[in-house]
Amino acid sequence: MSAVEQPANSPDAAPAALDVRDLEVTFHRRGRDLPVLKGVTLRIARGEAYGLVGESGCGKTTLAMAALRYLAANGTVDAGRVLVDGQDLSTLSEEAVRKWRGEQIAMVYQDPATALSPAMRIGDQVAEVFRYHEGLGKAESLERARESLRRVALPDPDATLRRYPFELSGGQQQRVVIAMALAVNPHLLVLDEPTTGLDATVEAEILDLIEELRGRINAAILLITHNLGLVRRLCERVGVLYAGRLVEEGPARDIFTDPRHPYTMGLMRCVPRFGMNKTDAALQTIPGTLPALGEPLQGCVYSARCPMAKPVCSRREPDLYAWPGDAGAKGATEAEAMPADPAAYSPHHANPVGEAARHARCYFSADVAEMPRMTPVLATSLEARGGTEGDVLEIGDVSRTFKDGRKRLTAVHDVSLSLKRGETFGLVGESGSGKTTLAKCVTGLIAPDSGSVTFEGMTLRATAGRRSQDALRAIQMVFQNPDSTLNPAWSTRAILTRAVRKLGAGGGSVRAKVDKLSADVRVEPRFLLQRPTDLSGGQKQRIAIARAFAGDPTLVICDEPASALDVSVQASILNLLVELQTNERVSYVFISHDLAVVRYISDRIGVMYLAELIEVGSAEEVFNPPHHPYTEALLSSIPKLDFDSQQQRIPLRGTMPSLSEPPSGCRFHTRCHRILGDICVNDVPPFQEAAGGHTYQCHIPPDELLALQTATEPAAPIEV
Amino acid sequence: MATPQAAAAGPGEQQIQANAAAMLEQRRQRRYLVKALLRSPTFMTGFVIVLFWVFMALFSTFLTQSPTDIDAMAILQAPSAAHWFGTDDLGRDVLARTMAGARTVLVIAPLATILALLWGGIIGLVSGFYRGYTDEIIMRLVDVLLALPIIITSILVLSLLGKSVAIVIVVIGALFTPVVSRTIRAAVIGEREREYVMAARLRGERSAFVMAREILPNITQPIIVEGTIRLGYAVFTAATLSFLGFGLVPPSPDWGLTIATERIFLQIAPWTVLFPAAALATLVVGVNLITDGLSRVFSK
Repeated sequence: MSAVEQPANSPDAAPAALDVRDLEVTFHRRGRDLPVLKGVTLRIARGEAYGLVGESGCGKTTLAMAALRYLAANGTVDAGRVLVDGQDLSTLSEEAVRKWRGEQIAMVYQDPATALSPAMRIGDQVAEVFRYHEGLGKAESLERARESLRRVALPDPDATLRRYPFELSGGQQQRVVIAMALAVNPHLLVLDEPTTGLDATVEAEILDLIEELRGRINAAILLITHNLGLVRRLCERVGVLYAGRLVEEGPARDIFTDPRHPYTMGLMRCVPRFGMNKTDAALQTIPGTLPALGEPLQGCVYSARCPMAKPVCSRREPDLYAWPGDAGAKGATEAEAMPADPAAYSPHHANPVGEAARHARCYFSADVAEMPRMTPVLATSLEARGGTEGDVLEIGDVSRTFKDGRKRLTAVHDVSLSLKRGETFGLVGESGSGKTTLAKCVTGLIAPDSGSVTFEGMTLRATAGRRSQDALRAIQMVFQNPDSTLNPAWSTRAILTRAVRKLGAGGGSVRAKVDKLSADVRVEPRFLLQRPTDLSGGQKQRIAIARAFAGDPTLVICDEPASALDVSVQASILNLLVELQTNERVSYVFISHDLAVVRYISDRIGVMYLAELIEVGSAEEVFNPPHHPYTEALLSSIPKLDFDSQQQRIPLRGTMPSLSEPPSGCRFHTRCHRILGDICVNDVPPFQEAAGGHTYQCHIPPDELLALQTATEPAAPIEV
Repeated sequence: MATPQAAAAGPGEQQIQANAAAMLEQRRQRRYLVKALLRSPTFMTGFVIVLFWVFMALFSTFLTQSPTDIDAMAILQAPSAAHWFGTDDLGRDVLARTMAGARTVLVIAPLATILALLWGGIIGLVSGFYRGYTDEIIMRLVDVLLALPIIITSILVLSLLGKSVAIVIVVIGALFTPVVSRTIRAAVIGEREREYVMAARLRGERSAFVMAREILPNITQPIIVEGTIRLGYAVFTAATLSFLGFGLVPPSPDWGLTIATERIFLQIAPWTVLFPAAALATLVVGVNLITDGLSRVFSK
């Protein structure tokens, strides 16, 4: 450590874990130069956790890759330098970098399945790290591998060593990846969306693990994520990246309670706060879209989308000013006096290292707290949407079993529920709980084995192919993946035209109806000529929504319609769904793993666990005690943005049991923190009525459960 | 777009400009594929070779001596200034015959390939789209057909049906159908689970519409690649069959036929066999290079 070079003007004696100075990175694609990072400067002290946030395409991952000299072949570092632990990587040979990376840096990527070799046993993969980097023998390295698996709290490390990756759950795989990352005692741990794609409860476990490990390892952390709640939980400092520029930087606590850049403020406002409902407040969206890579921008990179932009903002780019301070305002005055000649503009970046604790790249930081709000349409009450007109949909004892070799997996087991006109029914539960299968049974994409689906008093045929065109028109679906929901070979207009032809209720020209649909979902007519590949994710999802509304449906099933989108786009899609519901009085079944989103958009919520619906009630009732212990655990696992909310984590024990052999008695008893004893193991619990229309399946009666769940003492997990 | 002119233009004009921009972008995408192919040395080499043989098939009679003119005074002459590739046992110019020999194979092979793509495409679409028992039955039948040795089967069928060129084309097309149907079935299975196919089902589309209009346009790339692979094999098979005496009769300059009739002179006049054999090899290599280039550009 003493041999490494000291950074030139570092105020501290010890070199920073990561010191990035004025970094400029350009990608070269199809003969064009696309600047991705523009003069990024940041510093992560030893042992510090730094969160890098921003929407996709802002350059977050590129920054990490450039820092580790991992840039793709078509990317070049044009200016600036990166010191990791005081070492300038660009001066090392390829071989030395590889060795050095292995010893000093560890990375954890989004998808654990692709980080592990599917053909190697876990033990061999983890042991390889020790064999390669420490030159240990076979037995010794296996022993160390066992130790490191124990460190990441994997149950039964001996058995895990012998398993292949596909035999582990996603959460367990990510634990193995983390174990491998920490095996070499790195000085810098880069986490690139480490929990995206994992269930909320698993995410919470991984976060617990990282938090717990931080106390024992001396690694600095660079956390790359779009999830502000994650940063709020793990990081001391945070940097906000927009279009390749660092726009705000400072202590996480200060930035989340008092953002000083309009983009940070916009990001915070577009996520539904926990407990918020569509009838209370509309989500604030960020107007416009992220500039395309390489698009020439004059002035502040955010000025085109900023609700408080003034003429000066598009004339000269603000520096990264210290906050609090009057530097921003001074810059604005200077800029006003400048001639409006782009040639006279020269970018210069304030260097935040060693200066003030907080910086924001905005002339008007002082006004950000009062940033004007937009007033999108607020949802009307359920009654106004037709909620008193009776049930639209009735699902009775629907079950569906799939065959997997010799195993029989029951994906949906005896689920019954009903839905009113204009109502949104939120369906939550971990992946594999049967949400999507249930939804597909309603639409007829999957035929249920037993049970009935009744729509407006008529029993529907099991498969879509046998249903009448009227029944198809009335029940439509919005799918999850914006990249496969639209046929890439068709133009957008052709997609909508076909939908109107097949589903349209007659009257008026097809062309006029298509134009109206696209106007309703706010897609500009020029995009109708394009193919889906030329549209952004948000636009694709809007077209998919327009397609579902082509026949004026009564019920639309939304299967994670916004989870693949960035938060600001997600907000606008949610607002759109709310607005369409208000205007068209349509009912929704809304599936999502994001509990805050479900709470926001739903009137009623159903919780699924292991193929069964275990709790149903109004959104407010389900999210407040007394509620099912599983719901309680789910809710406790979400990383929240508010610093002052007292959050008691309830860890779920073990992993989700197999659908082919569900546990006896209460299906949740193997993981329940409020288990009573043998009664839970042996007897199927009754549905208890907590309030009018709010029922949950548990042996504990509502008043006792309420007392337990409102007690200040955290519930201790009881061992069986 | 944010230039003062655009801002000053009326909404109608803006609309037109935007439409034009959208169409330009689409054309740019398509042009990119073409450019990538033009820049691929593999594809271009293959393309030039195949283009050469197509050109020769069409125009060689204007450039060379007649491929069928017999010159009894010049039998089995070695390559010389008068006869660059020498002459054969009837004194015919080997250069003229080699160049003209491309004609038959370049008719038989592409037509057989098109037939195989058509039949294999339909079978693959149906099998991959319906899955279940339909798929099981069709694929087991395909397995049986794949187990047949191509040359022996075609000899048997041709002996039974006659030896005309048309029958050779149909037989090669039929024999390649099972392989093609497997490739297309795999591509269909990849597409049918996509959400746009589910959306089509929720719209009440007929299965034939979903197969032909929704899925087919999205599997053109694997179809094109499979087509060029089959084309290479079809050239090969056509030559083999005419070598064995099926499809073509003397005095056709067809390569396979020529190799068969001249092979008795291989010891004393090797040029009579080597030039048509080399021509055949270059055509097959050329087609394979095109296949390689296409699949590389597509997979990018």
